[in-house]
Amino acid sequence: MNQHLTMQAFWKRRARRFLLPIGGLVITGFMLLPIYFTVETSLEPTSALQALSQSLLPSHFILSNYRVAFDAEHGSIITSLLISLGAVVLSVGVGLPAAYGLTKLGYLRSRAVVSVAVMVLLVTQMVPGISLTIAFYKLFLHLHLLNSIAGLILADSTSGMPFATLVLRAYLGSIPAELSDAAYVDGASEWRTFRSVIAPLAVPAIITSGLFVFLFAWGDFLFAYTLTAGGSVTPLTKGLLSFFTNNTVNWGPVLATVVLAAIPSGLILGFGQRYVMGGLRAGALKG
Amino acid sequence: MPREEPPPERQATWSVRATASANKAPVEARPGALPDDGRMPSLSGALRQATPPPPKGARQWLQSHRRQALLVAFVLPALAYVVIFFAYPLIYGVTMSLEKIGFIAQSGPFIGLHNYKEEISDPVTGKALVDTGIFLLASIFFQFTIGLGIASYFNRRFFLSGLLRSLIIIPWLFPPIASGTIFAIMFAGQGGIIDETLRSLHLISSPIFWFDSSFKAMFVIIFVNVWIGIPFNAVLLYSGLQDIPGELREAAALDGCGAWQKFRYVTVPLLRPVSLIVIMLGIIYTVKTFDLVIVLTNGGPDNGSQLMSTWAYTLAFQNFQTGAGAAVANMLFVFCMIVAFFYIRATRREVAIG
Repeated sequence: MNQHLTMQAFWKRRARRFLLPIGGLVITGFMLLPIYFTVETSLEPTSALQALSQSLLPSHFILSNYRVAFDAEHGSIITSLLISLGAVVLSVGVGLPAAYGLTKLGYLRSRAVVSVAVMVLLVTQMVPGISLTIAFYKLFLHLHLLNSIAGLILADSTSGMPFATLVLRAYLGSIPAELSDAAYVDGASEWRTFRSVIAPLAVPAIITSGLFVFLFAWGDFLFAYTLTAGGSVTPLTKGLLSFFTNNTVNWGPVLATVVLAAIPSGLILGFGQRYVMGGLRAGALKG
Repeated sequence: MPREEPPPERQATWSVRATASANKAPVEARPGALPDDGRMPSLSGALRQATPPPPKGARQWLQSHRRQALLVAFVLPALAYVVIFFAYPLIYGVTMSLEKIGFIAQSGPFIGLHNYKEEISDPVTGKALVDTGIFLLASIFFQFTIGLGIASYFNRRFFLSGLLRSLIIIPWLFPPIASGTIFAIMFAGQGGIIDETLRSLHLISSPIFWFDSSFKAMFVIIFVNVWIGIPFNAVLLYSGLQDIPGELREAAALDGCGAWQKFRYVTVPLLRPVSLIVIMLGIIYTVKTFDLVIVLTNGGPDNGSQLMSTWAYTLAFQNFQTGAGAAVANMLFVFCMIVAFFYIRATRREVAIG
């Protein structure tokens, strides 16, 4: 009886050791199947499309789909890069001082004001873009910002700026106040304290928020679609849509464009994963 | 209680002030701010000795408020941004919804709540409202349950678990328009991989045209949105599960609880706060969905898969009914603000407990 039980436990443990990773692989594989399909098809000659489901591996690798995609979309890629980087600079550039100011004001007597400000920032993240973009169109029309990279940087920062400020503030709150006070005592001005003490310390949070702002702007479609209507400025998301609707049969280059559009996500996952996880949690759970 | 401990904020206030005054003029900290009981940080103690007695009154007021004003200046650009890019467009959106505007670049006369009345009785708006509700409920339900399943699976450590866990996030990091394109191609009626697979499994005999009925189109949109949302739910629920001390489950096991009972009486109640937050964030992300619909169905067939967001877009940018579009967008906004209210209430409580 006892012997039987321990044997059972032994096999159970053994089975778990093998079955758990296999189950995990199955779950992950299932989730990533569409991405696998995308990469695989993008590397295949278009004529092989008919035999898609039969072959899990491409019959032979080609890169011509990528050449077609790149020829068609390289302008959009540059546009999207400029917009995303601009949004990062604007969001972090405005958000970091704001986070510093809010943190310090919180130490002074303005706690209520600060918590209202934080609440406003939280709420702005929940405003649907469509409720803004109709007014943006009219506003940008008057400011001559329609169909411009600057306009899209400003619009895309609506999701980036509040997020960056919140993440940075949560981080700055964890830096001991004595550090900046010490600099202050040593005669550094408020600006100097901010620039030479706080900003360097906040680098991890700057990276986190910067990565997210980049991803938001890079993935933005709503503003790209509505605020460039009929114009020449074409971010990659908008370019991808028109490329797709113009190539309903020839999917290879379209899926190659999808892969190009997903490169930042892949890079960020590869190199900045801990920042991503930190940002996910900070953005969701802290106020 | 022998001696009163200064409350933490006051202590912070005091040290900031003291250092502030040390910087420029030899001004002392607020008089009688705190008793010097030897428990102050040494820095402040040193300061106190170094600075001569303070001139009281106006100068001191200026000193402390100067610092506050300086800090407000740090916040000012962000404030300006929020006013110009949130407050102003939202107010402008309200005034537009009260006007009879056709083409978006034009302006029109004030017509009161006419746009709202018209849109509420409009059958397409009604369907968009219902579809948005179905989309929301179905998306959240499946994202959450599947996400929770994945989170609990990965809650046990095993070979490769860390790597696989991080790979699962990928769909969430993809630009939604890219995910939408992938699935538009996968669901294509002729030659799409889903159709081909179903056919080679002999589950269907003729191609399914996924986008030719409102029901099927909505199914696809929900399917893709669930795929995108699962990672977000899984990651946050995973961190919620990790925060539950293992001893609690062990104690329950010692008390004779089975797996289900442990889940029901330990995991579920302790995961409740995180779940609430995840669900509310999910609602907000989901209700904003726009890209997916445009690339998958473009609202069709025959406006059969319009959500409130895409319907507002269609009205304002394509149907030359900008006033009506603004009205629909505002309805969506009000809904989001109601969710936001509950979200903030929940996170505040969460913060208070944590």
